[in-house]
Amino acid sequence: MTATTSTRSPLKALSVLRAGGRAARHGGTGIVDRAAVGVAGCMVLLALVGPYLAPMSPYAVDLGAALQPPSAEHWFGTDVNGRDILSRLLVGGRTTLLATVAVIAAAMVVGTLVGTAAALGRRVVDEILMRICDIGLSMPAIIVALGLAAAMGPSLQSAVIALAATWWPGYARLVRTLVREVRDAEFVESARMLGVSPARLVFRHVLPNSLSPLYVQTTLDVSAVMLVISGLSFVGVGAQVPSAEWGAMIAASRDTAITAWWTVFFPGAAIAVTAIAFNLVGDWLRVRTDPTLKTGGRP
Amino acid sequence: MFSFIAQRLGMMILVLAGLITVTFLMTQVLPGDPARAAAGRNATAEQVEAARERLGLDAPVHEQYVSYVGRVVQGDLGTSVFTQRPVTDDIAQVLPSSVELVLAAMLVNVAVALPLGVLSAYRRGRAVDLAARLVALLGAALPVFWLGLMLQAFLSARWGLFPLAGHLPFGVSVPRVTGMTTVDALVAGNPAAFGEAVRHLVLPAVTLAAAYIAVVTRTLRSTMIGALDADYITLARSTGAPEGRVVLSHGLRNALVPTTTILGMQLGWMLGSTVLVESIFGRVGVGAYSVTAVLQNDLYAVIGAVLVIGIVFVLANFVVDLVQLRLNPRLRRGRATDGAEPAAQTLDPAGERA
Repeated sequence: MTATTSTRSPLKALSVLRAGGRAARHGGTGIVDRAAVGVAGCMVLLALVGPYLAPMSPYAVDLGAALQPPSAEHWFGTDVNGRDILSRLLVGGRTTLLATVAVIAAAMVVGTLVGTAAALGRRVVDEILMRICDIGLSMPAIIVALGLAAAMGPSLQSAVIALAATWWPGYARLVRTLVREVRDAEFVESARMLGVSPARLVFRHVLPNSLSPLYVQTTLDVSAVMLVISGLSFVGVGAQVPSAEWGAMIAASRDTAITAWWTVFFPGAAIAVTAIAFNLVGDWLRVRTDPTLKTGGRP
Repeated sequence: MFSFIAQRLGMMILVLAGLITVTFLMTQVLPGDPARAAAGRNATAEQVEAARERLGLDAPVHEQYVSYVGRVVQGDLGTSVFTQRPVTDDIAQVLPSSVELVLAAMLVNVAVALPLGVLSAYRRGRAVDLAARLVALLGAALPVFWLGLMLQAFLSARWGLFPLAGHLPFGVSVPRVTGMTTVDALVAGNPAAFGEAVRHLVLPAVTLAAAYIAVVTRTLRSTMIGALDADYITLARSTGAPEGRVVLSHGLRNALVPTTTILGMQLGWMLGSTVLVESIFGRVGVGAYSVTAVLQNDLYAVIGAVLVIGIVFVLANFVVDLVQLRLNPRLRRGRATDGAEPAAQTLDPAGERA
């Protein structure tokens, strides 16, 4: 590990990716980190306003315009039903990102409650909850989610519930570790001695001071959850076909992937770009918030 | 050592029980009438009643649970509405093909990730390190099913480098012995068919491996960096050992322990990911079977596939724990919980998950 960012040689200039990580490791923010935050921010913004930007209707069928390659009129081409792919992406991004956020939020709430209860509760409560988490973590998430969603009746809602049900144990373990770290801290002790009620102690003193690594983890999980959610849609247990959800768009276009690559390429690229951006942001946040990582390699 | 094995064995049994319970819950949350679902969409009222009685659905939930566990333990996963055959037979028929694909993907995984991880750690900050970082970044972000469709569209359909789908070209067949096409071709003494079977395996295996290559490369890189910075490496160098020997037998050997654990766990994850890959490449397998079952609304088949994949996953993790015991002598001294997490509890960072 030598100097920080330097762009003297072409190779060095090429290695912005590494330089970004290196700068961050020294506590700074590299160009890649900025770009990643920018892209991730754009994706969130597009999820909010995208439907208003869509140049055409995402659902109007126009068979006369079917399977047109990318052009000035249709930047990303049209699908087998003649629908403008860019418009569908702009509309569907909201669905995909909302579903992802819903999974993470639900898993985080359950995980935080369980993890806190395990950390602050009696030993036997801790043991039981953690064994349940171990069992949950020892099952293949995508397969269990697939079965649950199929059983509940295929829909995006089922996929979200099913995935959240398989995702929370990871958060519970993390929160348990984090809460245990602060539960004996002096400020908690003094609050307790001042007679603060247990609920207030947990929600105002313990949790706010222990959860920041959890937020980093959720950022890193955005891409993973998004990939599984779109995968479930692709398999047919998530968002159903006319929907513009990105995974469902790929599923609907799989028969035209060979003859008209753009029908599959752009939805997948949208998923990939979003996933990469959130991964980089998560890495950056992790290094920034965890001082022990600033000197070492990537774990 | 024995306490370690006993502990992991106990955990495995708990997880299997959890898995069976979860699949039982799946049969319970079925919207509508599970007896109707089991009997099939076109069943008559009598057939539905017969199914209700056969499955004991008129019994209280806890009795149903006991009989469900009993049936699963005996290998009875119900009857597929679509094929009208026992789900266990259906899955036994297709599972070898999935195992073949998973093993091929593991081969690709090791062949790419091992050199990439070692080189990127050895030449930190150079071009190869950048390449490794890119692979890790892309592997963790590209949707598996999308990668499969794109490889198929360009490498197969457009440029004709690989066959489009299936196990063998049209008109070629080998007698089924193991259910793995490559092995069957060898058993039949048909080298041409073997070559074709391998060619048909390449793209599915690469697609399946991509996400896992990313994880292995990342892990190996960081453990390898740790190993290369260790004092024993300096010592080895100072004794005048050749550089290749220093890196491989001193560095890599020590860095390999966590990597082998991850590789072993990935076998289970990969079997789950076949759900996303097999149907794209028109391959027979437990993944494709469950996708078809979802589309046919064939719930007992879906749940059966979930259970089988889950069981293989849990068994694979148990074996990984045993291998870890072999590779990591510290575990043998009875300090069972010292520093070693059970294999499965590192979340699959590849999305696993997808």
